[in-house]
Amino acid sequence: MAQFFNKSANNIARISMVMVVVLAGVGGFAFTQISRSSYLTGRYLEKQQPVQFSHKHHVGDDGIDCRYCHQTVETTASAGMPSTQTCMNCHSQLWADSPYLEPVRASFRDNKPIEWERVHDLPEYTYFNHSIHVAKGVGCSTCHGSIDKMPAVYQENTLQMEWCIACHRAPEKFIRPKSEIFNMAWQDGDLDSKERDKLKVDLKIRSKEMMTSCSTCHR
Amino acid sequence: MSKISPAGKVKSKKEKVKSMSNRFRFAFLLLTFALLTGCGVRADMQDQPRYKAYKQSDFFSDHKGSRDPVEGTVARGQLHDNKAFYTGKIDNPNLNAPVATAVDAKGNTVIASFPNDIDEFPVPVTKELIDRGQERFNIYCIVCHGPVGNGDGMIVRRGFPAPPTYHDDRLRNAPVGHFFDVISNGWGKMNAYAYQVQPADRWAIAAYIRALQVSQNPEEHLKMNSKTESNTAPPKKDETKNVSTNGGKR
Repeated sequence: MAQFFNKSANNIARISMVMVVVLAGVGGFAFTQISRSSYLTGRYLEKQQPVQFSHKHHVGDDGIDCRYCHQTVETTASAGMPSTQTCMNCHSQLWADSPYLEPVRASFRDNKPIEWERVHDLPEYTYFNHSIHVAKGVGCSTCHGSIDKMPAVYQENTLQMEWCIACHRAPEKFIRPKSEIFNMAWQDGDLDSKERDKLKVDLKIRSKEMMTSCSTCHR
Repeated sequence: MSKISPAGKVKSKKEKVKSMSNRFRFAFLLLTFALLTGCGVRADMQDQPRYKAYKQSDFFSDHKGSRDPVEGTVARGQLHDNKAFYTGKIDNPNLNAPVATAVDAKGNTVIASFPNDIDEFPVPVTKELIDRGQERFNIYCIVCHGPVGNGDGMIVRRGFPAPPTYHDDRLRNAPVGHFFDVISNGWGKMNAYAYQVQPADRWAIAAYIRALQVSQNPEEHLKMNSKTESNTAPPKKDETKNVSTNGGKR
């Protein structure tokens, strides 16, 4: 009876054993990268809005505080979107006949809210509250990036659970003094690690067990 | 023939059982399908069929998921019957009271007396109140009124009509209720800020404006008389110095 396997089958068997491991590794790596890619997370993708509103101009050039428009960021879960009246505080006088602002004027005339495109869309099985983060030393730019340099706002971070939990495990790496929360120029290097540890105590940030408990965010 | 044979009888019974279980299975699948698609259970947990802040509604004609309370609703504890605190007006305002006018630097005639506004803070004036006022001022007011209230804020430099300075006699002598009234209801080109600044914060801002006025005119006495706490003694010199005026720092 002739040999069932050719002699080269030995090599094929050895190569295929290696290839299974390599392919599994490459496939696994590809999975982690694709699931973190902006294609799936929407990161770095600028959204077109009904009005060409520029945070770079209003925050960066004019120096308007975040809270002028996002008033409820210190008190409620939602940071708050400004009503059209807030726009009209200035734009009743400035650029009052600019065609770019017609959607704003139309909204004010007809008493209909402007329908903005949501940029940061957390899945609804997570509980998120702006006010507690602001109260515990998480600055705007820690999560939202340099909004003052964004003509059109994009999502700076993945908003995936690994990103949330990185800070919940070690908040002292990310927090800043309460006076600097709305400071867009704040750098993480402005505090050394000792000051951060002290700040974590001063802000009464809870234990790692409490911060990473499932029901802290999934309630 | 098969009807008579016992074997045939058993067989037909078996068939009956089989068709029953098939029918059950079919009904079960149908029910599962209906639950998954039609009856509100959605596989997609990312966007759940419930309203969060600013979520669009397909049910209401104005598409607003967040509903306004019915007009005239008074929430518990929010009757706002403390008139001085919530309006800054005296108890029996006389709308026909004679009002003095003055001519400002630009030659415009402006109102110079405010007979219906209270001249006492309805809250205790403390350092915390002024600090809070400074913080709020630097968010909402600084954009036009500028860091010390000269009326040269960034938005004015962009072309918005300049507001009057806080540091002329007309506004130095204005009752505190006037500042509360302007924040609440607007004045001239300034829109009402009632939506953005809550009443307690409006009094804090009014207190900070008083502090700014002293900072630009140190000879002046701090007019911080408060109804609720004795704070009417003229301030010591070093106390007024402590009032921070680095309003432009962000």
